[in-house]
Amino acid sequence: MSFKKFDKFIDFILLTLAIAPIVFIIILQVLTKPESTGITVEGARIYFTIPMPIQPLPITEAQVNSLAVLITIFSLCLYLTRNMSVKKPTKRQHLAEWIVEKCDGLVKNNMDPYFKNFGPFIASILGLSAFSSLLSLFGLFPPTSDINIVGGWAILVFILITYYKFKCGPIHYAKSFCDPPLLTPLNIISEIATPISMAFRHYGNILSGSVISVLLATGLAGLSNLLLGWLPGFLGDFPFLRIGIPAVLSIYFDVFSGALQAFIFAMLTMMYVSGGFPAEDFVARRSRLSKANKK
Amino acid sequence: MQTLDIISVNIWHIVISLANLVLLFLIIKRFLYKPVKKVLAQRQAEIDKNYENARQAEQGALNEKLRWEEKMSTAKKTADDMIANAASTAQLRGDRIISDAKTKAEGIVRRAEEAAKLEIKNAHAEIKKELVEVSSELAEKLIKRELSREDHQGFIDSFIDGLGDGDE
Repeated sequence: MSFKKFDKFIDFILLTLAIAPIVFIIILQVLTKPESTGITVEGARIYFTIPMPIQPLPITEAQVNSLAVLITIFSLCLYLTRNMSVKKPTKRQHLAEWIVEKCDGLVKNNMDPYFKNFGPFIASILGLSAFSSLLSLFGLFPPTSDINIVGGWAILVFILITYYKFKCGPIHYAKSFCDPPLLTPLNIISEIATPISMAFRHYGNILSGSVISVLLATGLAGLSNLLLGWLPGFLGDFPFLRIGIPAVLSIYFDVFSGALQAFIFAMLTMMYVSGGFPAEDFVARRSRLSKANKK
Repeated sequence: MQTLDIISVNIWHIVISLANLVLLFLIIKRFLYKPVKKVLAQRQAEIDKNYENARQAEQGALNEKLRWEEKMSTAKKTADDMIANAASTAQLRGDRIISDAKTKAEGIVRRAEEAAKLEIKNAHAEIKKELVEVSSELAEKLIKRELSREDHQGFIDSFIDGLGDGDE
């Protein structure tokens, strides 16, 4: 009995650890955010700056929030995979298995069989991106609307693409740019454009969602003032139109757009990594090499 | 409080976010994928084991069935053989009994016939002997007495009566 209680206690701690970071950043925001005056579209607020060699490192909302997301996902992973059993799966085990199977299915459908171990990477992209974007539901700064965050992911994807293109050797890699020989410069540009377009697509979508939300909220306040300003006293100042309407739009701009961009980023990652990898050449080369080794 | 510009590139931010993604990848690989895959593999192994057991049981049952079918067919053959054997034995025995009875009956009939012939012979011999005796007695009587016709008649009658008595 005491063991069971202890078990429940650990579950409780893990769930608390999953929720606590979000609560913490909400409190931090409430404590530090100055009252907004009119329409302001600006980047992440800087908490403090650390001097660093090349460039000073400002610790902003984006950093704190992504760290919070990281801790949340970590705690959720621990919570979901606790007390797994083969015969009697609990609800959370079902959820964990569902996540794993869905991500594996996605990888299986969109990538070469060579990349069958890409599931965790795709799952982490999906999780990090979706959770980060969904932070805007709480009125927090979504880290994905900071170009540096998404840019870091895109650069990692670019490194992966190049790494897998290099699997067949540098000559093959160089050759892949000269597919139609005259278009080599364009090929190089498109190669470099891949991470930039990925980063800007994701960043732009989330940021534009926030911008539209701000514009809409301000616009609705003005409209409310215009239409209902004749009401006496306090009622005339209260922006009635801001009740409900932004929430409905937030379903699109925050939930749908955030989830969709996460999915698109993951899909593009799979497409580019798998598409850049010359699977047939690689198989041919490996069989040739193994034959040579045998001889 | 200061804010960043809406587009502001900072190398350290990029590096930190890249490291965050790698860290999350490691976390998910170690703390989500590894345990889930382990459980899935265990479940798969269990299912495979169950299937294998079921297959083996089925194979065993099939073998048993074949064995029993074979046994049943041989048993039927044995029973048929036994019945045929018994029938032929019974036929044989019955035939023998009948033939024995026939020979016995023939012997009895023959013996009876022989006995009857012997009896007839004996009877003939007896009659002959009687006739000799009667004739000798008749002759004796003829010699002893003078006979009238009536006497003669009476004599013959008495003789025949006596013959009848003697024949008894």
